[in-house]
Amino acid sequence: MSKPDHNKPDDPPTMHDVDKPATLFAVYLVVLGLAVANIMLSVAGLHNLALPVQLGIGTVQAVLVAWYWMHLRRGDQVVTLSAVTSLFFVFIFYVLVLSDVLTRWRGGL
Amino acid sequence: MSASTHSPVLKHHFDNLEQQHSAERLGMWMFLATEVLFFSGLFVAYTVYRYLYPADFEFASSHLILWIAGLNTGLLITSSLTMTFAIRAAQLGDRPALLRHLLATAALGSAFMGFKAYEYATDVEEKYVPGPMFQAEYDRAVEELTHAPKDHAESHPHNPAWDLAARNLGKTYGDPGFISPQRVQLFLCFYYVMTGIHGIHILVGIGCILWLVQQTYAGKIPPENYSTVEVVSLYWHLVDMIWLFLMPLLYLAGAGMKSH
Amino acid sequence: MSIVIADEPRTAPPPPEPAVPVRNYLNNNYSVWSWLLTTDHKRIGILYLVSLTLFFTVGGIAAGMVRLNLLSPSGAILTEDQYNRMFTAHGVVMLFLFLIPSIPAVMGNFFIPMMIGAKDLAFPKLNLASWYVFMIGAGFAVWAVLAGGIDTGWTLYPPYSSRYSHTNVTPGVFGVFITGFSSIMTGLNIMVTIHKMRCPGMTWGRMPLFCWALYATSFIQLLGTPVVAITLTLLMVERVAGVGIFDPTIGGDPLLFQHLFWFYSHPAVYIMIVPGMGVVSEIITCFSRKNIFGYKAVAWSSVGIAVVGFLVWSHHMFVAGISYYSAILFSFLTMLVAVPSAIKVFNWTATLYRGSITFQAPMLFTLAFLVLFTVGGVTGVFLATLGTDIHLHDTYFVVAHFHFVMVGGMVLAYMAALHFWWPKMTGRMYSDFWSRASATIIFVGFFLTFVPQFVLGYHGMPRRYPNYPQEFQVYNVLSTAGASVLGFGYLLPGVYLTLSLFFGKKASANPWSATGLEWQTPSPPTLHNFDATPVVVCGPYEYAIAVDQMGRGLPEPPGPGSAGDPASHFGPTGPCGPIYKETEVVG
Repeated sequence: MSKPDHNKPDDPPTMHDVDKPATLFAVYLVVLGLAVANIMLSVAGLHNLALPVQLGIGTVQAVLVAWYWMHLRRGDQVVTLSAVTSLFFVFIFYVLVLSDVLTRWRGGL
Repeated sequence: MSASTHSPVLKHHFDNLEQQHSAERLGMWMFLATEVLFFSGLFVAYTVYRYLYPADFEFASSHLILWIAGLNTGLLITSSLTMTFAIRAAQLGDRPALLRHLLATAALGSAFMGFKAYEYATDVEEKYVPGPMFQAEYDRAVEELTHAPKDHAESHPHNPAWDLAARNLGKTYGDPGFISPQRVQLFLCFYYVMTGIHGIHILVGIGCILWLVQQTYAGKIPPENYSTVEVVSLYWHLVDMIWLFLMPLLYLAGAGMKSH
Repeated sequence: MSIVIADEPRTAPPPPEPAVPVRNYLNNNYSVWSWLLTTDHKRIGILYLVSLTLFFTVGGIAAGMVRLNLLSPSGAILTEDQYNRMFTAHGVVMLFLFLIPSIPAVMGNFFIPMMIGAKDLAFPKLNLASWYVFMIGAGFAVWAVLAGGIDTGWTLYPPYSSRYSHTNVTPGVFGVFITGFSSIMTGLNIMVTIHKMRCPGMTWGRMPLFCWALYATSFIQLLGTPVVAITLTLLMVERVAGVGIFDPTIGGDPLLFQHLFWFYSHPAVYIMIVPGMGVVSEIITCFSRKNIFGYKAVAWSSVGIAVVGFLVWSHHMFVAGISYYSAILFSFLTMLVAVPSAIKVFNWTATLYRGSITFQAPMLFTLAFLVLFTVGGVTGVFLATLGTDIHLHDTYFVVAHFHFVMVGGMVLAYMAALHFWWPKMTGRMYSDFWSRASATIIFVGFFLTFVPQFVLGYHGMPRRYPNYPQEFQVYNVLSTAGASVLGFGYLLPGVYLTLSLFFGKKASANPWSATGLEWQTPSPPTLHNFDATPVVVCGPYEYAIAVDQMGRGLPEPPGPGSAGDPASHFGPTGPCGPIYKETEVVG
């Protein structure tokens, strides 16, 4: 349990918490590069692979943004838990709605 | 809890700043969880219809303006970078840099909205709007193309409805290759609602950033209160991340069609 | 760990009655602005209490009109259009403006910080904002249902709601959309508060079960409400723009609306009931003077309901045209939710076993909850079963089931909570006799109202119809008669609780001899709840060893005629001498 330490003095942030500009720029270049790659690949024509490739690239970008820029890597457990929980429920949402839509052609009441 | 350790930014009901900051961060993350679920409703609905009507969605997508989408993606990613630098500046107590980065973020966000507005205006001009506008244009195009000679095409307006009518010429609903104008409108509903709601989020974000600018001017963001900047940045990044999914789903779905 | 304790003289002495402070949260400032601009969680709880009482009355009057109209097979007082608007008004107001905010916004706001030893919720301004947002949304919704009305039913299914209904759908939906934000704000506040603001020693395993229940509720509010917000947005867009994604004429699927709507609105019934379960856990321990049976089971079953509640929504759509396979899956998943609910009921019953039960009003309401919720829950299984649901779907059986859970469950739990915490909130005791009378009348009236509806539904009377065949009249008249008794029962608390504010006996800090931290401050509480941050040393329900959460003794519990009634003395005696209590120590 990540209970705050009640005796901790109100210090300003330590240098440990401050991002290195090099890291931020590196993430920026990767995310931007992935966006460019996504567009170029799509225009070139990915055919059946289009959707998985496009969403895969989007996911990698989102993970990078969350991990480095939103400081998920320094977040406490509850923060990580809320992020994961929201994604889990989106997953449930997808699966259960699609359980109906994908099988409806087979018939229903 | 002795009064001597109290910072002026510590609110009365918290024991210390550590607790206050982690509560603020957690609160924002939980709000982001609700935002994820909010957009997921749209994404699920989009998925259902994309599964049901893949060809219609790809056609409709291919007539959106790709260069604006690409440019806007770059603007948003850059604005996220400047926002992260704003946190850094706040942590280091560098007020001029903080102001600079916040204003840059707001400017990039505004540029995004500017291009978005230009794009909407172009779409409306092309009558690429669901409902009677698109349907009437399509019906007119079908009417004229059916009666016009084949080599007459270049004198017609070049907009999605005419492209669709030309493509569907001689086919009826159910024929292979027929793209339903109604389902194109369904895609357009998603396009306007998704980008519209995303745009509202950008506007709210710009508002929050301008509020931060005002707070910084007023000297209310000392280094130990940097979490205020961080909390706004979390929201800004999430809006950015959602765009990273909207962009492929809306603009790239039909990007490959032109190469065929 | 199970220990057996003889009823020996208690070791820990009860703390002295705290000195009544000059300033408490009520008398600190009397101006109107001090209420409207307050960020004190206690005052915001009271603001919600007053507003919700108003909306409950509005919804109750609509229910009365519906029942009156059903006295005659062809409609007694309303035209058919008016009838449609009336039951929609009842549904919208009761669900969105009363049941969803009820316990979280009133009792949660007021007591969560006190129970975990905090000075306030984590975000006091957000808390005040939630009340304003709620009132704005409620204003829209009430205006929409009263001026002109909405005739779609509270479920707002398109294409009727988007295309064909010529009533105030848009403002009504907009109002509901706005109140959703208030629900999110409250949930977020409570969740962050429970995570970050617990006082020293208040571990998760020592938290009162009410906090666990509210935590689970907030979880649903945070994850479910945004989905209905986007769904209603899409509905409003479709209605205003004339084109939208649920529109069948452009290939849209109206069933998708139902999926999106019920993804929230089914878990929303757990937003309504789970806080009530938290209240019951508090009261049943206090008035049977026993530790809760199975603390962990009750705590985690709240979370279990919250999670499993998200997996079951399509049972509302079994006959709407979803696929067989999906229907079978959802039928199975729906039955799963009976497991955590049953765990709770069994644990409460086991808590009662060999307790020294006294029957003050909060306990009467709670026992009524136990009975009615169990009936409501078990009839829910009939509806989860695919085969029987085809027969029972959209009949009065569903109406009766839903009201057994929501009114018999949630409203009675709300009344129980109100009676349990009223002395703490106001510093006054209400009439013992009239409160018991009210609990009894409500229980009887409730049964009379809704049991005939089970019969009606089983014989095939559809819900939402203004007309019915002659042979159903006797049941409808019975039901309406019950509704009048029920209405009378609801009026009584309005009278004696109001009177208690002026004439009630002053309440002591801990009138029920309960263990929670909220009873360790004077009644009504001081401005910042506690003079010094409390330190928790033991679990929430140590009634067996009679210590509160700070490890101090409990005052003498109240009983009917504490002087002279042998059963009510501390140290219960049975026919064979002193009773030994077997109990579980948690935390």
